[in-house]
Amino acid sequence: MKLLRLLSWPYVRKHKLRMLLTLAGIMLGVAVFVGMHTANLTIQSAFQRTVDRIAGKAQLQVSAGETGFPEEVLERVQSSREVSAASPVIEAALSTSQGTLLVLGVDMTGDASLREYDLEGEDEDVIDDPLIFLAQPDSMIVSRQFAERTGLERGSKLTLKTMGGQKTFTIRGVMKATGLATVFGGNLAIMDIYAAQAVFGRGRLFDRIDVGLAEGVSIEQGTAKLQALVGPGFQVEPPQSRGTHFQSMSRGLTVSINLASLFALLIGVFIIFNSFSIAITQRCGEIGVLRALGATSGQVRRLFLLESIVLGLCGSLLGVFAGLWMARGIVPGLAGTLQEVFGHALSADEITISTPLAALAVVIGVLASLVGGYVPAHSAARVDPVKALLKGRTQVLSEGENRLRQKLAAACIVGCALLLGLGNRNEYFYPGYLLGIVSMILLAPAMSMWLARALRPILKLIWPVEGALAADSLIQAPRRTSATVTALMLSLALAVGFAGVSRAIYDSLLDWMNHTLNPDLYVSPSRSITAKTFRFPATMGDELRALEGVEEVQPVRNARVLINGAPVMAVSIDIKAITDRVRVRPVEGNREELVRLGAQGKGVIISDNLSLIRNIHRGDILEIPTPRGVLKLPVLGSSVDYSDQQGSFLIDKSLFQKYWGDDTANIFRIHVRKGYSRDRVREAILKRWADSHEIFVYTNEGIREYILKLTDQWFGLTYIQLAVALVVAILGIVNTLTVSITDRRRELGVLQAVGGLRNQIRRTIWLEAVSIGAVGLVMGAAAGIVMIYFNLHMLHRDLGGLRVDFTFPYAFMAMMVPVIGLCSFVAAIWPAEAAVRASLVESLEYE
Amino acid sequence: MIDLTQVSKVFAGKREVTALHPLDLTIPKGEMVAIIGASGSGKSTLLNLIGGLDHPTTGTISVDGATLGTLSDDELTRVRRDKIGFVFQFFNLLPSLSCTENVSLPLHLRGWPKQKTQDRAAELLNLVGLGKRVDHLPDELSGGERQRVAIARALSVYPPILLADEPTGNLDSTTGEEILGLIKDLHRRLGTTVLIVTHDMTVAHACERILQLKDGVILADRRVESPAAQ
Repeated sequence: MKLLRLLSWPYVRKHKLRMLLTLAGIMLGVAVFVGMHTANLTIQSAFQRTVDRIAGKAQLQVSAGETGFPEEVLERVQSSREVSAASPVIEAALSTSQGTLLVLGVDMTGDASLREYDLEGEDEDVIDDPLIFLAQPDSMIVSRQFAERTGLERGSKLTLKTMGGQKTFTIRGVMKATGLATVFGGNLAIMDIYAAQAVFGRGRLFDRIDVGLAEGVSIEQGTAKLQALVGPGFQVEPPQSRGTHFQSMSRGLTVSINLASLFALLIGVFIIFNSFSIAITQRCGEIGVLRALGATSGQVRRLFLLESIVLGLCGSLLGVFAGLWMARGIVPGLAGTLQEVFGHALSADEITISTPLAALAVVIGVLASLVGGYVPAHSAARVDPVKALLKGRTQVLSEGENRLRQKLAAACIVGCALLLGLGNRNEYFYPGYLLGIVSMILLAPAMSMWLARALRPILKLIWPVEGALAADSLIQAPRRTSATVTALMLSLALAVGFAGVSRAIYDSLLDWMNHTLNPDLYVSPSRSITAKTFRFPATMGDELRALEGVEEVQPVRNARVLINGAPVMAVSIDIKAITDRVRVRPVEGNREELVRLGAQGKGVIISDNLSLIRNIHRGDILEIPTPRGVLKLPVLGSSVDYSDQQGSFLIDKSLFQKYWGDDTANIFRIHVRKGYSRDRVREAILKRWADSHEIFVYTNEGIREYILKLTDQWFGLTYIQLAVALVVAILGIVNTLTVSITDRRRELGVLQAVGGLRNQIRRTIWLEAVSIGAVGLVMGAAAGIVMIYFNLHMLHRDLGGLRVDFTFPYAFMAMMVPVIGLCSFVAAIWPAEAAVRASLVESLEYE
Repeated sequence: MIDLTQVSKVFAGKREVTALHPLDLTIPKGEMVAIIGASGSGKSTLLNLIGGLDHPTTGTISVDGATLGTLSDDELTRVRRDKIGFVFQFFNLLPSLSCTENVSLPLHLRGWPKQKTQDRAAELLNLVGLGKRVDHLPDELSGGERQRVAIARALSVYPPILLADEPTGNLDSTTGEEILGLIKDLHRRLGTTVLIVTHDMTVAHACERILQLKDGVILADRRVESPAAQ
């Protein structure tokens, strides 16, 4: 500790900027980790909190996935002796001018025993006399926050667009801003369940039944009894299970976050490594003196390790705060994206601060710092007191060291190839992936030197002095530049990896859309095509067919059902009608058989990603829970279908209507008759329904645009991480240049003394920075190819079962050339100015 | 050629240090002058001021008609590259560049064409007796050879003034004599004005004039009747 105060602290004070840059490297790495995980956690907790608060005292919930179920199930549940209270619920989100309003349709006659409606003042009579709701179906109670936002009070009227046209509701009460009323950012409204059925086009279906168990009945007993009572087509689960299902749906996001956080930390490790290597180079003399005065190598090692711990601790603590701040910015966008992608209403106003996560981040930050500082500390401990006084020696990688790295890299490549060759199992794939990355890291110093050597003649040809000196600076001090180049390579590899995957997905998505989405118009009851708040009645299909210019109307009903405990999207269509217009491209199975048997309701066609994620194949029996029991259908085959990340299956609408008792539609696909104007038909639809219904008519291009926008939003989440990764790498360039200038102070002084103009000196530094950027860019592109390969495999095996082809993101790389060039240049501005403004006399005397 | 009027230099810091008290000095064209004195006497400071590497606290310095204090940084650099050649005690060669590249460095900085630059570098390396070591890196040369390269670099444009700060200070006596001989020879053949900062009285006596500094003041300014031949 004394040494830390005596030696380290003065060094820190003298090199404030470098220390700040190093701190920033750790801070950003930890911030990405904390920020992304906190944002994800906030969303998951907000969802769970909403579920818990809405559930109130309910211990179990009976549901049938997202499809809903007939009213008579309620009687069966209520008849159970294990049940003390059972109340049906419809839960939907409505768009209003004040944001999304979560509407709960409940049966007030029995619901008060499960949920506490803490109403203000005289409003209590609404609960005390539930007949008010029954007798007046336009009744609604709202939360205090929503009332304040919209200027509502008891007796006010609120007009909303519903499936039955515009309806005006009367506010019968306002809930105090506590408990239930605080869910969904306080945007909550309660209405009668039968009114909700009409408002949301639910027919005679409920979304779920909330159940309170009789005294003495355990959750397990209640679950078993109710499951037996309602049959296997239903899910009887504690309310918390909804959170688990949501987590399962957003698993892809969690994996992406973990991967990007890992890379951000890895990049941080290289920044620390770089910084400490530099510090040791600069403090070589000091180390020599220490050793000469009797310090043991262990003491020197401990000193530097202690420094890395202190720096890691400070950077991590700052990173935790920065991460929480970052999360605050990310959460609204993330919630919006997840809401769009999964069709679940989400609202998270306050971020969830997790102490274990913060503690883990600090531990990881300190460990990363220790890992980054270990090799330099070890080198410092081995410094020969005599050699320590020789300037510049430690910047050079010894031949032996270089050879060892190359041998280790070769071993890692062989290991990686062997593991990948062994089989497709995770136990082989992920270690193979890790070895692949390690080999890239090990090869980085040698590769950066080769590339710098290759660059020298080019640079020298264009700028004989500045170019040659810039390249020489990289060649002569590989230790100084390799960590930065490696950090840049990893950042770019991450960016290229993501860009490659997104390009591949884009291409596949475009291909799928071109092939599948061929109707002229799409009619949806919500702006979001994934939202399932409203559904069209079946009769609307007939009315659409009757419109002039409409040739064919294809209703589509989709909803998630739980298959083996995980949500899968059921897509109910008229298979015959749709396959007459869309040529099925089977991945497994025979096209003619798929269409014929599918249309006859003799099986289901599953999506390729469902097949891959769940290992379900042609001939397997899919057990689908329905309100009428478990429907066992053979899998006829699989085809490419990107309807849902967790997989989907096509089922003929005749079967769906039979087993789910549901003939509503989420969307109508409309083919316009030849010779008729698509826009005229669109206008006719809007004219007929827009005044009375929530209705959105998308053109074919509009729907494609919508899907691509959604895809962009999804990938947009990763762009933040990429941006931070690049910033961290750029900090590394600034760090390296600052040191390079210190190391080359005399050289730059000589250059000025013999006639180098300020601009010529600046150009040398700029060229050095741009060369680092160029070397990092080339290595990043190479490493990116490897990343794309691994990412596509990950996508295929663990993140949605997508089978997409390898595509190199040329456009992205072309964009990165000026971005990295510019960033490197910007990183060089300050160091270059520092170089030209340094005292010439001091520079020439610098040792 | 070189005129200093009331030039002083004070280094500011926690404690102000006066390196040079106000002094006047004139060095005519073609003269070879030695500046001697103990460490801290201000001799290197004086040389740096004359070379435009540092700025005086007071006074004016005129070099070959150019008043240094009135020039911008780039103009000062142009004066340095066109009129002054530097030779340092520690050679200050760029380790990554070959002898030819080191010598041609100032010429490249002036934007000379490649062939002309190479021809001049070869000519100068021949002049300093290193015609056969053109492609060697500084690390591959002896101390004397490195200083020869440094001298060749300083003379790359045949500047009218050569400033040498302890040019033999890092060399053994035999090599030091060789280097001094070389400088004298070049002074004689090219008519260059030479200022040498040195501790070595042998070097000083080889010059035509000796300036002795003590605590930032010119203690003595005397002519050497018959400079020792090297």
